Amino acid sequence: MIRIPCPFCGPRNSNEFAYKGESKRRPDPATATAEEWRAYLYDHDNPEGWVREGWYHRAGCRRYLKVERHTLTNEVRSAEPAVGA
Amino acid sequence: MTATMKSGVATRRLPPQEGEVIDRGAALTFSWAGHSHRAYRGDTIVSALLAAGVTVFSRGFKYHRPRGVLSASSLDPGCLLQVGDEPNVRGAHRRVEPGMEVHPQNVWPSLRYDVKSANQLVGRFLGAGFYYKTFMKPERLWPAYEQVLKRFATGGRVSAHSPHGYYDKRYAHPDVLVAGGGPAGMAAAVAAADAGAGVLLVEEEYELGGHLRWGDATERVALAELRAAVGAHPGIEVLTNSVVTGRYDDNWVAVLQRRHPDVTGGGFGPAGSRVQERLVKARAGALVVAPGLVERPYVFDGNDRPGVMLSTAARRLVNLWAVKPGDRAVVFTANAAGDAAVTDLQRVGVDVARVVDARRGGDVVSAIGGRNGAVAAVELADGTKVDCDLLVTAVGWTAPTSLLNMSGDKPLYEPRAARFLPGGRLPDTVYVTGGIAGDGSLDELVAHARAIGAAAAAGEGSRAAGAPTLGVDAHPALFKGRTHGMVDFSEDISSKDLVAAAKEGYDSIELMKRYTTVTMGPSQGKLETVNAVAVLSEATGRTIGETGTTVWRPPYTPISLGAHGGRILEPVRYSPMQPWHEAHGARPLIAGQWIRPDHYGNPEAEVRNVRHAVGIIDVTPLGKLDLRGPDVPKLLNLLYVNKWSKLAIGGVRYGVMCAEDGVVMDDGVTGHLDEDHYFMSTTTSGAATVWEWMENWLQTERPDWQVHVTPVSTAFASVNIAGPRSRELLGRLCTDVELGGEDFPYMNVRKGTIAGVPGCYMWRIGFTGELSYEIHVPASYGLHVWESLLRAGEDLGVDAFGVEAQRVMRLEKGHFIVSQDTDGLTKASGAGLDWLVKLDKDDFAGKPELVWQQGERYQRLVGLQPVDPSVVPPESSLIVRGESDIVGRITSSRRSPTLGRAICLGFVAPELASAGTTVTVLLPDKRRIPARVMEHHAHFDPEGVRLRG
Amino acid sequence: MRNANGKLNGYRGRKPARYSAFDLVRYGIRHGQWPRVWREHDLSPTYDVVIVGAGIHGLATAYYLAVNHGVGRIAVVDRGYVGGGNSGRNTAIVRSNYLTPEGVRFYDRSLDLYEHLSADLNFNVMFSQRGHLTLAHTDASLRTMAWRAEVNKVEGIDSSVIGPEEIKKLVPYLDTSGRTRYPVLGALYHPPGGTVRHDAVNWGYARGADARGVEIHQSTEVLGIDVVGDKVTGVRTNRGRISTPVVVNCTAGHATLLSDMVGVKMPVITHPLQAAVTEPVKMFLDTVVVSGTLHVYVSQTDRGELVFGASTDPYASYSMRGSLEFTEELAGHILELMPSIGKLRLLRQWSGLCDMTPDFSPIMGTTPVEGFLVDVGWGTYGFKAGPVAGETMAELIATKKTPELIAPFDLARFAEGRLVGEKGAASVGH
Repeated sequence: MIRIPCPFCGPRNSNEFAYKGESKRRPDPATATAEEWRAYLYDHDNPEGWVREGWYHRAGCRRYLKVERHTLTNEVRSAEPAVGA
Repeated sequence: MTATMKSGVATRRLPPQEGEVIDRGAALTFSWAGHSHRAYRGDTIVSALLAAGVTVFSRGFKYHRPRGVLSASSLDPGCLLQVGDEPNVRGAHRRVEPGMEVHPQNVWPSLRYDVKSANQLVGRFLGAGFYYKTFMKPERLWPAYEQVLKRFATGGRVSAHSPHGYYDKRYAHPDVLVAGGGPAGMAAAVAAADAGAGVLLVEEEYELGGHLRWGDATERVALAELRAAVGAHPGIEVLTNSVVTGRYDDNWVAVLQRRHPDVTGGGFGPAGSRVQERLVKARAGALVVAPGLVERPYVFDGNDRPGVMLSTAARRLVNLWAVKPGDRAVVFTANAAGDAAVTDLQRVGVDVARVVDARRGGDVVSAIGGRNGAVAAVELADGTKVDCDLLVTAVGWTAPTSLLNMSGDKPLYEPRAARFLPGGRLPDTVYVTGGIAGDGSLDELVAHARAIGAAAAAGEGSRAAGAPTLGVDAHPALFKGRTHGMVDFSEDISSKDLVAAAKEGYDSIELMKRYTTVTMGPSQGKLETVNAVAVLSEATGRTIGETGTTVWRPPYTPISLGAHGGRILEPVRYSPMQPWHEAHGARPLIAGQWIRPDHYGNPEAEVRNVRHAVGIIDVTPLGKLDLRGPDVPKLLNLLYVNKWSKLAIGGVRYGVMCAEDGVVMDDGVTGHLDEDHYFMSTTTSGAATVWEWMENWLQTERPDWQVHVTPVSTAFASVNIAGPRSRELLGRLCTDVELGGEDFPYMNVRKGTIAGVPGCYMWRIGFTGELSYEIHVPASYGLHVWESLLRAGEDLGVDAFGVEAQRVMRLEKGHFIVSQDTDGLTKASGAGLDWLVKLDKDDFAGKPELVWQQGERYQRLVGLQPVDPSVVPPESSLIVRGESDIVGRITSSRRSPTLGRAICLGFVAPELASAGTTVTVLLPDKRRIPARVMEHHAHFDPEGVRLRG
Repeated sequence: MRNANGKLNGYRGRKPARYSAFDLVRYGIRHGQWPRVWREHDLSPTYDVVIVGAGIHGLATAYYLAVNHGVGRIAVVDRGYVGGGNSGRNTAIVRSNYLTPEGVRFYDRSLDLYEHLSADLNFNVMFSQRGHLTLAHTDASLRTMAWRAEVNKVEGIDSSVIGPEEIKKLVPYLDTSGRTRYPVLGALYHPPGGTVRHDAVNWGYARGADARGVEIHQSTEVLGIDVVGDKVTGVRTNRGRISTPVVVNCTAGHATLLSDMVGVKMPVITHPLQAAVTEPVKMFLDTVVVSGTLHVYVSQTDRGELVFGASTDPYASYSMRGSLEFTEELAGHILELMPSIGKLRLLRQWSGLCDMTPDFSPIMGTTPVEGFLVDVGWGTYGFKAGPVAGETMAELIATKKTPELIAPFDLARFAEGRLVGEKGAASVGH
């Protein structure tokens, strides 16, 4: 059970959180081509290494967090609020 | 020795021994293979049986050769027994309890006469993996062969009638968790506690002490001192008969705590608790791994015969349980443990016929069997044969490195010590001490452990400079002798099998493991792995270090499903009206977490009552969200496919949400209650998802918007009052809201008092297609309002209706249900929602896909009616063209009591979607029936005259 | 091979030693040594086809290339050992009761190949059609089961929805009392489904391919793929460079990392999938039992162990260390189904890596880089498809035409918004 250092609640077990996947930028729907939009929907970097991703503290403060995690070791390097970022 | 003796004359019990753990004042009775035996409290099943002269406890998996004691510990592969309805009990670990019923496993029909032992005769044809090479043809016969193979499945039996046991879980947060309660573990625990740490000390056996318990007088003195130090320290919690079974990411450590009535402090839960096992989940600040070493068997001809045992087994039997393991012994020794065994055996009157010292070039070649296959003589390297009934081997140690592997370390082979040592790649929070870390005198080991314990408590980090280290003593490398023998006693895999497999090409340790199944049995390789690696190395000409070991995986010790599962906790949700539903014969329907009334006996009558009079349904499980703030309309515009900016206060609107791929996600209505205040309903199963979805937008994409979302699903009890008399009924209980058609028109919301309860929301909406009001009342008044409605409307014919009646009516009305009438790929247009989707909005979730996919060739949801009104197609019936071209399916189907005919919703290919088309429905019974595509989804009152009434 | 075009015309190896009961006795009596199951080779500077990944998919592709199409020099390279990835980590379940016609046809061809694989490969893969039950605990899942059954029947697959009484007869240890939190309301019963010994499939294909001249290179890690213009020209490995016009990505769990080497972006996210096995007990479970609602599937091996699987881990990772919460949840759920087996002990847990795609269907075929083909994105169902994936990928490589069976699974479908409908049954699982 990995731990996520929630900036609002302190270190908590990861099963309190919902994993929301790699952080992605939403293309402007007014100008995005189908290819760009579907890359946003379906493609992933899926690296073996550090990744920035979203976690939602479902059983805690209910904040969306931006977390840096290593996908091989599962080490969590940072967790910060997604708000305003 | 005879194989079995009837009721227990203790023929092999020795006079009292200094370190014995049995209580001679407490005799117990238990049974073995149907015969009564005696034991003393503190006896294991096996020690009690050995004392009674039993020497054979099981038969091998494949060749069914008799098996006796090898290690006299939990790892003993030949001592897996059936105890009552519990299979695979470690008989050399589990203590006898009064009345235990113990049976041998893997014997047929009995231990003594085992029919499958005929396999020994054909053994040379049954080499590892033989089944891959035969039974290929004729193909039709393989299932029959398979049935024969299955009969060889080993192990005990589970019962279909065992009660669900009692199991428990606990969280622990020790600063330092010490795995292993031998001298090093105890010393580390004391040192850590001295430094102020909260310590959890876990020991697999029933008492602390490790090998000191079966040691000499000096060691017993050291044991007493260490035990006293542990016992005196308030900072140390001791768990015995407990095992650290796994170390997971971030020092999440699993400890299996096992109950036993004899163990002081071993019981848990309140007095008389029936809890059998408890899984302790510890977030350890530091983990100190101190499991000691496991004595390794020697591979040679006949090494699996009863009477061949490890030196630690012999010493444990003599010193802990006062059992004489044989009368005439040969001891093959390469180390001090073997030498000590000689001393112990001689002390208790065993005739040690020969000491064969590996350090002086001695070797054993073969254990020659006598009656019942037990050892009768030993052939030595010089060709001499020595008669004996006991052959003790002490050839070295295996480091049980599981917890290190699980922590990310890769142990390294040290040829000088002939064993693996920690590889130095541990995380900073995992420490190692004791025999697994290196060699030394007891004082040196204890000093090392104390230093490690203190460092762990201080959080210095196991990789910190100046961390204490232990030396390594030279030890002869003894794995396989000059003859082939058993490597894996659980799986019946010999060194010959392994050599053959290696030469065939299964020549990496993982391939060999998979092909031969070596190390895959219940002892998990702790006895076998290193010997297997050594045999493979010899066969391939590589070193042991180059060959490496298999990856040790959790758990360190097998754990019951019961302990893993703990108390089964699957919560359900009920509405406040549940007592009424139960009292009125509601048939329960499972809807996700909710249990709600499907119907109260006659759903068709419930439908008719709503259509003709008035009915009430408990819709509390609907998702409800309270939305406040100036930017709520923006949020609604973004999430719903339709427009929300102009919804006036008091207005209610239906909306559908799509995910970013345009797939329908949820639907519901939202009302504008007040300035900057809205109230949203969602589907029952979508409540949590929609809330998270909203928070996602608000917290990540639109953080500048001022919206506050509060989930209020269970803060309100919800009732839908439906039917031509619903206005009259509600009017009798609500006096502060004008319910007249013009004052409170369709698709409006009001706030008022119902049955004396203020603060209720009333929506005029109509899922059923009737004039209806959905009321949301503070949950604690739910039952009161519900019963008040029924009382007040008695003369109006009011009655409750359930989900089934509601489903029928919504189908009559053509309302789709998300996830029943849509699936994981249904976009808004496919669900027939083009009328709702407003593509002229700047942006909303999923918009681009809906723009691109307009008019594309996706199946469409349509209303369907079978031409024969009496045939109701089961839901999921397919719509086909020609013989087998699937062009759609029925998603909802019922007999409409209102129309007296079958009505459906279903998907059809776009070219079949226009009204009036006749399609073919293939029923599950293979009948094909025609059905007509209707103009509307609604089969009844498509113009909505009734609900606007 | 049935339907093989050009039987054995690619034969350029040596005649494989036959395995038979007769030979078992013969070798047994003489204490003879069996020939190597596959051979070791030096790495050649050029191959016609380089297949990355010596699992079932890669080996089967090589095997059918040699057997059905007579393609010349084929190398299968793997950084580990034969079958050491997901091909040896799955729970060895086979079935063809999928939701979409294209899915059903594809997996049914696979089941067909599996059925005759022991004879074709002269290697007993222990194909065991013990029947496959997918339990339904809610009205909604019962509806999905019925949907699958109807599609299956139209496609000629033996598949039907059965009720609790019939289920109880097939699985006496199951609690079908209806008094549980998740009562068993019915099940999709698929008699042809069952299990196959996964390692044997790996070894059988490896041996068959080797015998026909395919070179299997273990401990050979791909470090880079050379692309000139938009064309593959070679592969760089830890054992040297290979020139080749065709590279096939048959990796499971590393689809992204290999495709990254040629710059082809993958709609894949890698999640661990854990499994566990109990100590052996006498046989008591004759079928494969799956519960989508409870995220658990279980079968009993011929050795007596129960093999369990569950849904993938909740977050993306390349870690294979496994977790305690997996076994906790698994045990809780299996005891919901079979409350009497609480004393059975879990012996071992392990992980594989699943490359999940957005529509629960694989990605097979060509990519924008000429000569770089993919057979990836197998999620949790790669084992079931091994033989047919090999057969169709071999056909694609040899004929340069995409076989109809795999046309729906092309990479371009994501950019073009043509997802495969298996997503409709997403919650159904194994």
